Amino acid sequence: MLDSPVVPQQLNFEQVKQIIPQRFPFLMLDRVVNAEPGVRVVGIKNLTGNEWFYQGHFPKRAVTPGAMLCEAVAQAGIVFFHLSRPVRGDVTYLLGSIKMRFLEPAWPGDQLEIEVTPIKLTESAGILSGEVRVNGRAVAKGELTLSAKDNSKL
Amino acid sequence: MAQHTIDDEVAALIAEILEMDPVQLDRNANLVEDLGMDSMMALEILAALEKKFKIKIPEADLPKITTVNQTIELAKKYAR
Repeated sequence: MLDSPVVPQQLNFEQVKQIIPQRFPFLMLDRVVNAEPGVRVVGIKNLTGNEWFYQGHFPKRAVTPGAMLCEAVAQAGIVFFHLSRPVRGDVTYLLGSIKMRFLEPAWPGDQLEIEVTPIKLTESAGILSGEVRVNGRAVAKGELTLSAKDNSKL
Repeated sequence: MAQHTIDDEVAALIAEILEMDPVQLDRNANLVEDLGMDSMMALEILAALEKKFKIKIPEADLPKITTVNQTIELAKKYAR
């Protein structure tokens, strides 16, 4: 279990950065609004027209790349995994597989609500279900397999 | 459920995760050394077995997923 018995229900941007290793320009999580270890994590990412990926995707009409929605789910997954099965030591998080369906486009100005829930968890890996919503409507949903690999074994 | 059906369903499920033709899957081959399974694929197989047969397999049994035949035995153990 956690070193500290108190798990915050919400995480601000700085607290998120203490958990996930991604940094600019690859941070796809602004804050966590609901963290329930072992149950779910719900995060928020506010998309602005300034995001780096809109420069090329696409120059004439900005659409959020599906790959970045996958990344947002993966980052919420890291937060979930970290809170549910705290990893000790120096690890790198790797995706094993991701199966995602994109239901509607996400545009600049949208607020992404990213929810992950567990399908199966072990000490070093997990299969998670993920959904990305905008205004309560699902824009992407799917499953991903995530593992925390000890850096000495990579 | 007939035994051969469980056998074939487990083999098909493993073949799908390993992205192999189920017909060409050697059921005694070592999944890691011969067929390239990694730890995340093993976890996916475990979760797929649980979903397919509506069973619960403890994490401690994960190392028993070594060959298709061993995995079939594992599924049968909990499907009883």
